Amino acid sequence: MLIDKTKCVNCGQCIPYCPMACIQKKDGIVQIDLDECVECEACRNARVCPRDALYMQKLEGTRILRSQFSNPLITHPKTGVPGRGTEEMKTNDVTGRFKRGRAGVCIELGRPGTGTRLKDVQTVAMAVAPYAKYGFEPHNPVTALMVDATGKLREDVLQEKTLSAIVEIEVDQKDIGAVLDAISKVQKDVDTVFSVDFAGRLERDESFPAKIVAQKAGYKLSPNGKTNVGLGKPLAKEE
Amino acid sequence: MSHTLHRYGINEADLQDDYVVFAIAAQTVNAKGIHPQFREFEKIVMKYNPVNYGDMRTGNKFNVGMETVGSSYHDNSIVHAVFTDEATVTKVLKDLYEANLDLSIVVSGLTDHTAACCHGAGIAPHTVEHSMGIWGKTDRLPSEDVLRVSTMCGHGMLSFNLIKDLAQKVAKKRMTSQQAAEKLAGLCHCGVFNPVRAVRIIDKIAADINAGVEIK
Ligand code: SF4
Ligand code: SF4
Repeated sequence: MLIDKTKCVNCGQCIPYCPMACIQKKDGIVQIDLDECVECEACRNARVCPRDALYMQKLEGTRILRSQFSNPLITHPKTGVPGRGTEEMKTNDVTGRFKRGRAGVCIELGRPGTGTRLKDVQTVAMAVAPYAKYGFEPHNPVTALMVDATGKLREDVLQEKTLSAIVEIEVDQKDIGAVLDAISKVQKDVDTVFSVDFAGRLERDESFPAKIVAQKAGYKLSPNGKTNVGLGKPLAKEE
Repeated sequence: MSHTLHRYGINEADLQDDYVVFAIAAQTVNAKGIHPQFREFEKIVMKYNPVNYGDMRTGNKFNVGMETVGSSYHDNSIVHAVFTDEATVTKVLKDLYEANLDLSIVVSGLTDHTAACCHGAGIAPHTVEHSMGIWGKTDRLPSEDVLRVSTMCGHGMLSFNLIKDLAQKVAKKRMTSQQAAEKLAGLCHCGVFNPVRAVRIIDKIAADINAGVEIK
């Protein structure tokens, strides 16, 4: 994002709207710190600039990733889904993506509100890779940047910053405690926050073994979550 | 992406007025030609006066308006309605069950209570996603109250600074908490922001400011 200095009157109206707090006033001049800007367009979409001075420059090279990962209004070329992520459990009733006994684990770096460098994403991806028995989610835009199954990302993208980025793996439900231990251990190695969750198909008695394993391992679950209520059709075939 | 997950609450009571019901199609299975079904979804949820409504592809009732949202559904739309009580969610689910829309329906909210809503509607929940909260360098986070508001937009479009700025204005009586909540709702494109819960929290932040509490 750039500011057209021929239009800007340095009123500062746009400053609070930036989720990365990278629009600042220095010596009376309002500026965007382009190293910290994630190209999310929240400032411009807020339509608060009285002079319409905010504009998107043509993004080139790896900087395009900032916009793809940060602007929820973009349909990601890899997923076909508007927003940053994948369909994951939202359509599990129809896709059968998560089978009984397995769980999807998501670690969303930079969320909430801090943003992340992709090198921190790599650090977490490499920490959980040994536990990703069924691999990284193939339709996830982070997976598309990996060079191998160890979770290593392309060298040229590591310094790019995004509003958030999701590491998504699939594991056996019984292994969820070990995965959470690995995530817990890597916390000190990253310079950002991340939000963690896991999802899975409920058993016929509506129990969720992964939840019990996580609780037994000493982890606290938030009282709120997401439930696919199973109304999609055609329902995925199950063994 | 879990755009309705990870809504931060200080306890269960803080989340009891916060439910998002949304509809989505699987792009590789049943999405082709499904867009008219979102209109049927809209008809059902609108009967129950959601406090917010929006489509990830188009916008929400506070920014582009209901007419625009309702006139442009796409096969890859994700359409959301926000409700503030379990009894209403149960009724909505019952109607959706009877309507056979083919769309996947997801409810974001207190998981045990959501299960009760499903049972009340005669449905067996299929798949659950549990939030484990925020990890990592949590000293970079603002106060819990700011988080409670900000995390109601899962795409991170509501900056911590803006929430503090608006709460300051409310504290100084330069705007009402309702106006502040509607301003924020307009910035959360998908329509998953809950303005009723936001009013409650912004009032609390404003009262703290007036009592001399420093808001991180
Ligand atoms: S594009 Fe996003 S990160 Fe960049 S200045 Fe605007 S709001 Fe801030
Ligand atoms: S709102 Fe517009 S005119 Fe005001 S400081 Fe920002 S870019 Fe400049």
